Amino acid sequence: MATLTPSRSLPTTKYLDQLEAYVRDRHPRSLAGIVEARLNDPARFEEIAETFMEWAVAVRGEAAIGEMVDSFVRFTTSVNMSQVRYERAGHYENKTFEDCLQSLYTEKDEMDDYLWGVYLTNFLWAHHTEIILFFTERYLKRLDDVQTLIEIAPGHGGWGAYALKHLPQTRLVGYDIAPSSIEIATQIMNAAGFANRARYELKDALNLEVVEANSADAVICNFLIEHLERPEKLMAVINHLLKPGQKAFLTGALTAAQIDHIYEFRYESELVKLAEDNGLRVLETFSGGPRRTLPNAKFLPRSMALIMQKRQNDIY
Amino acid sequence: MTSQDTERLTNIFCTLFNKPDLKLRDDLTARDIPTWDSLNHVNLMMYVEEEFGVRFTTGEVSSMQNVGDLKRLIDAKTTATQAA
Ligand SMILES: C[S@@+](CC[C@H](N)C(=O)[O-])C[C@H]1O[C@@H](n2cnc3c(N)ncnc32)[C@H](O)[C@@H]1O
Repeated sequence: MATLTPSRSLPTTKYLDQLEAYVRDRHPRSLAGIVEARLNDPARFEEIAETFMEWAVAVRGEAAIGEMVDSFVRFTTSVNMSQVRYERAGHYENKTFEDCLQSLYTEKDEMDDYLWGVYLTNFLWAHHTEIILFFTERYLKRLDDVQTLIEIAPGHGGWGAYALKHLPQTRLVGYDIAPSSIEIATQIMNAAGFANRARYELKDALNLEVVEANSADAVICNFLIEHLERPEKLMAVINHLLKPGQKAFLTGALTAAQIDHIYEFRYESELVKLAEDNGLRVLETFSGGPRRTLPNAKFLPRSMALIMQKRQNDIY
Repeated sequence: MTSQDTERLTNIFCTLFNKPDLKLRDDLTARDIPTWDSLNHVNLMMYVEEEFGVRFTTGEVSSMQNVGDLKRLIDAKTTATQAA
């Protein structure tokens, strides 16, 4: 069985070590994926994973590391089950947004479990570690003088907290449709020490026209677009919020089934086209998928990231 | 579990993990089969669903620790189906 070799880049990887020991003991089937995630860039993996774990432990306590890993394993299992069913059916389950709202987003216990599971995928899935690295290196580092950052669908809030860690002058406003998201994201921000720079409101992403136009210096929106029936509206909302010339970061899932994935994107170009049709210029993209797939899979579940800039007129 | 059912289950394991001589002990876990990762586990469970005409929940799939657990789960589900 593969082992994780610490690169000793951080003074401590205390919580990551506890997480790994728990996976090894209770969920050995999940170890291979974690080894892959670390191998992308061991030092950066440890930095990201330990940071996320420190925040999570500050919210839930050290004794809850096992429970968080259980949530991650349940979430990953559910994703894998959806993917196998998708392979067989050839299309996503025909869910509506209303179905997801009723059965998940507004169901506290289900949603809390889901959000802690998603939180850990951000660094425990190898292709998601790559996306966080892309977010940091190619997006956060090219932003300057960001006063207001808007996060659409923050979920657990980890992405926003990681952004604030890199942008010390920035204030964040986040909008999510799930009460659990508002609660957990607020707790994560408190744990990260950014409570006075972040606030969250319960709002539908597609009704953000009520927020002042051209008010954001930066917008981030991760893994929401595939949860919508009308994804083009989300691009229009991002355009509405951003100041001209400013940049947004968006991620979405392609041919990756999940209990609450509604819109089935098949090609990277579909997301690029949606951005371009809604006044956004695509500066850079990244698309990654898991290293291990089902035998004879028709679909490679990908996660794609786009760095976009609000155009000032039709062409630029 | 009847010996016939054990054989059906063994066949699935042998085919999926490409181990023709596999002995399906109750204490067999992913530690014994390196390719038994989280994705192959779900694939395995889907084949079991089809073979035995049962349906597993996410919780059942994720918390299953070894072959003994799987056998007990199949038995419980097939007995429940027969009783209905
Ligand atoms: C998969 S989670 C993503 C969380 C986080 N951004 C991440 O990438 O890890 C999807 C999030 O979208 C939120 N969401 C779904 N539909 C929404 C909508 N119409 N408006 C706002 N938030 C929505 C859910 O409540 C959930 O927090």
